[in-house]
Amino acid sequence: MGKSGIDRPADGGGDLDLQAVLGRIQAAREAILAELRKVIVGEDEAIDQVLAALLAGGHCMIQGPPGTAKTILISSLARVMDLEFKRIQFTPDLMPSDISGTEILEEDTSTGHRFIKFVRGPVFTNILMADEINRTPPKTQAALLEVMQEKQVTIGGKTNPLPQPHYVLATQITLEQEGTYPLPEAQQDRFMVSVAMDYLPEDEEVEVIRRSTSIGEVELQKVIGGKDLLEFTRAVRLVALPAVLGKYVVDLVAASRPTVPDHPSFVGEYVAWGAGLRASQNIAFISKATAAMHGRDTVAAEDIRKAIVPVLRHRIGLSFRAEVDRVSVEDIIRRLLEAVPEPTAA
Amino acid sequence: MTEPTVEEMGVEVIERIGAGKKKILGEIRKAIIGQDQIVEDVITSFFAGGHCLITGVPGLAKTLLISSLGRAMHLTFRRVQFTPDLMPADITGTEILEEDLATKKRELKFRPGPIFTNILLADEINRTPPKTQAALLEAMQEQQVTVSGRTHDLQRPFFVLATQNPIEQEGTYPLPTVQQDRFMFHLLIDYLPKREELEVVNQTTGAQVEDIETVMTGEELLEYQDIVRQAPVAEPILRYAVRVAALSRPTHGQAPEFVRTYVSWGASIRASHYLILGAKARAVLAGRPHVSVQDVQSVAYPVLRHRVVTNFRAESEGINSEEIIRRLLETAKPPKSGL
Repeated sequence: MGKSGIDRPADGGGDLDLQAVLGRIQAAREAILAELRKVIVGEDEAIDQVLAALLAGGHCMIQGPPGTAKTILISSLARVMDLEFKRIQFTPDLMPSDISGTEILEEDTSTGHRFIKFVRGPVFTNILMADEINRTPPKTQAALLEVMQEKQVTIGGKTNPLPQPHYVLATQITLEQEGTYPLPEAQQDRFMVSVAMDYLPEDEEVEVIRRSTSIGEVELQKVIGGKDLLEFTRAVRLVALPAVLGKYVVDLVAASRPTVPDHPSFVGEYVAWGAGLRASQNIAFISKATAAMHGRDTVAAEDIRKAIVPVLRHRIGLSFRAEVDRVSVEDIIRRLLEAVPEPTAA
Repeated sequence: MTEPTVEEMGVEVIERIGAGKKKILGEIRKAIIGQDQIVEDVITSFFAGGHCLITGVPGLAKTLLISSLGRAMHLTFRRVQFTPDLMPADITGTEILEEDLATKKRELKFRPGPIFTNILLADEINRTPPKTQAALLEAMQEQQVTVSGRTHDLQRPFFVLATQNPIEQEGTYPLPTVQQDRFMFHLLIDYLPKREELEVVNQTTGAQVEDIETVMTGEELLEYQDIVRQAPVAEPILRYAVRVAALSRPTHGQAPEFVRTYVSWGASIRASHYLILGAKARAVLAGRPHVSVQDVQSVAYPVLRHRVVTNFRAESEGINSEEIIRRLLETAKPPKSGL
C-alpha cells in the first residue's frame, strides 16, 4: 500500500490494515464533530486541533478567556469517547498528593496486621481535565507534568502505571490575574498542542444562547472507545511524511530561532526564544493525524500549515519589542509560513 | 427544541406561576421587612435555576430570607459557615468505616455532607481556602459529588446562596473571577433605611410572628423552571442581550471608549446566557408570556456586576462596575419594538 516513492514508517502495526483504519478515523472525526456541534457552536477548528492531538497520543493545553467553552469542549469530548473522565480544579492550595494519590495505613480486621495502602488519585483515569492549571503552585504543577511524562506514579518505592490511553487536557486562563503561576516554557513544551479559544462572533453567541436557555438536555452519543483510540494512534504513526515535507517542517521550526544565523529579520526583532526539537516532532505528529482525519495515508503541505499554529503557539517566546508593537505569536507563525518557501511538487 | 408558541404553553400556566410567586412573596413578607430588590432577585434566580452570590456585611437577614423561602416552598435547607479550616469533605461528605454489630463485618459507608439539600446557604464563602471553595463550585456545576470513586447525585432542585464579606476584611480568600462566573447573580445587600430598621426592631421584639406556610412544592418549582426556559424570546431581544455582554469586552471591535479605558476584563458568554434566562424568569414571574427589553435591562446589574472587571485606572477615578453597566445600557441600542 502507499504511494510509490514514499517511505512508509517501518510497520510496527503488525496486522494493522492501514487503509481500513484510516477510513474509520475519518468516519470517527466526522461523527465526533457532528456530536460536539450539538453543544458547541463555531469551534470546529479548535475541536479538530484537540482531536488531532488525541490521535497523535499527545496532551493538550487549551487557553482562552473565561466562559469560552473550554470546559464544555473537553467534557463533551470525553462524553463521546467511551473513556473514564476525571476533572481537577487547580487551586493555590492543591497538593501533589491531591493529584497522584496518597498512602494510608489500613488494618486487616481478621489478622490485626497493619499495612500501607495506596489510594489512587484522580490522575488514574483516561482523560484528565486539569482546569486552570496556572492557579496552582509550581510543585503541584510539576507533579502533574511528571506523571504525564512517565505515565506512572511512584510512591513508597512502588510503581503504579496509569491506565491507557492517558490524556491530560489542561486549561489556562489568559486573564492577567493576580495569584497565577504561569507554566515555565519547559513545562509548556510537554503539551503537544496549545489550542486558543476566544469569544465567538455575536451571531454565533446568539445561537449558543438561544440553545442554552431553552429546554432540553442534549444527549451525546458515544462514538469511539479506548481500544479504537489506541489503534488509531498506531495508525497515525504509519502515515507517511514525504522527505521534502519533513524538510519543510524542520525549515519552518529552525526559522523561528533567533540564534540561527540566517533567520528572517522579523524573528530577530520580535522573538526572544524559538521553538525546539519537540516542535518539529509534534508538527510531524499533528500533520500525520490531520492527514488521517481526512482519510489520507500521506501528509500534504496543507496538513503542516494547519499543524504549525497549535504546535508553535506555546513554543515561541516574544521579545519586549513584540509587546510594544503588539505583535502576537500568531502573527509570527503567519509570517514564518510566508517566509519559508513551501516545497513544490510534493 | 423548537420554541413553542404562547398558545401551546398555555397562558394559564404562566398566570399560575405569577400567582404562586405572589403567594411566596406574601409568606416572606411575614418574616422579612424591606430588601425588596434582593427578595425579588433571589426568587428570580430560583425560577431560573441559577445560584446567587451575595455581598454584604453580616446581620442583614440573609439566613432568615433563605430559610423562609425554603419553608414557603417546602424545600430542605442547610447552612454552612465557611471557615479557614473547613475541608472539602466537610461540604461534600465522607466515607466512614462502619462495623455491623451482628456480623462484625466492617464496610465503608457514605455519610452525605450538608451539600445534600435543596437550598444551601454557604455563609462567608471567601473565608475558606480555595480548595474547599472549589469543591462547592464543582458540585454546583456538575449536580453531583464524587467521593472515593463513587458518584452521588445532589437533590433537585438545588440552589446555592453564597455570601461574601466585603473584600476589605482581612483573612479572606476572594473568589477568582472565573469562579464567580458560575453564579447567575451577584447581589449587593445593604443596611436598611432607618424607618425599616425601626420596623424590624419593633416586629422582632414584639409579639410572635406568624408562621410561614408552604405555598409551593419543590416538584412544582422544577416544573416551573422548565416553563421559564420555554418562554419565547424574540430574535431582536436575544441579539440585544448578546450585544450588551459583547460590548463590555475591551477586545471587541466596537467596544465603546469607556470600556477600552476602564475595563480589564469583560463579561463572559455566561453573561449573555443569564441575561436571557433571568429575563425569561422575570417575565414569567410577572405573569407575562413575552420577554421584553425591560426584563433584560433589569437583570443586567446582578448578571454583569461580577463579570465586568474594572482596571486600576477605573479604581483611581472612582469608577466601578455599576457605573460601567449603567453606561453599557445607555450605549447598546435596544430594539425599537418590544419594550
